[in-house]
Amino acid sequence: MFKDLDPILHSQLRLAAMSILISVKEAEFTFIKEQTNATAGNLSVQLNKLKDAGYIDITKQFKNNYPLTVCKITDRGIFAFEEYVKALRSYMPENNK
Amino acid sequence: MEDSFSEKQSLELITGMINKAKNKFSESGTLYLVWGVAILICSLSQFVFGNILGYKNAYYGWFITWIVYIYQAIFLARKKKNQKVRTYTDEILGYVWICFILCFFVMIFILIYTKSFTLIYSAILVLYAIPTFLSGAILKVKSLIIGGICCWVLAALSMFIPLQYHLLLISVAVIVAWIIPGIYLRNKYLAQNKLAQQF
Repeated sequence: MFKDLDPILHSQLRLAAMSILISVKEAEFTFIKEQTNATAGNLSVQLNKLKDAGYIDITKQFKNNYPLTVCKITDRGIFAFEEYVKALRSYMPENNK
Repeated sequence: MEDSFSEKQSLELITGMINKAKNKFSESGTLYLVWGVAILICSLSQFVFGNILGYKNAYYGWFITWIVYIYQAIFLARKKKNQKVRTYTDEILGYVWICFILCFFVMIFILIYTKSFTLIYSAILVLYAIPTFLSGAILKVKSLIIGGICCWVLAALSMFIPLQYHLLLISVAVIVAWIIPGIYLRNKYLAQNKLAQQF
């Protein structure tokens, strides 16, 4: 039986950002941008969608007088990510024999 | 990045991104090297000036460690400032070293208070082993694990070695537990940065 994939996570950039954030405690916006090779504008939009879904927390601070955006995955985000991976597994051929 | 992609691509993307974040090795080995060399100089100088040349105040050399504490504070503040990502490994390692520092000072206080001066170096060796071994296990660096075990072996050996040579055991411990792994970590860190610059 195929499980539905979470539409919030089933997008390349949002999934990439969530995969990074699930592996670290917190990451700066620039780090996620470097790792995903995304443009600042697109990444900003996608991160806000994740934030609106309650999957990540975004904190805006200042470092050396420059704005700094720090992202951190929430418990809800971790749960959603785990469910997404479980759903993905159900699509793998070895699980459908 | 386009939005339509298969389940297989999803899994590949997740694996790739997790590996990218996981392989971000932030341990440069600098503090292992700095502390290793500082303690080596202090212990050897106290051994030479105190035990061989017979100077009464040979322990003055240990005041160098205060300079290292200041350097460490500046180094960690700079590292935090430049760090774009904070991993769970960084956090756990931080707590391990805080535990070590607290245990170190409490243990020294207890040993001095109870006038158990003969046990100071053995206790220090036991304490050196704990953060070294744990750091090795967390960072998956064999030389640190071996260094930690060596400290425990040296601590046990100190029971059979005259007190005046215990400083030499400390010297051997910092070479094996901090300086050698420090050099390894430094080389690994520099190689990673070189690789990152190429791509």
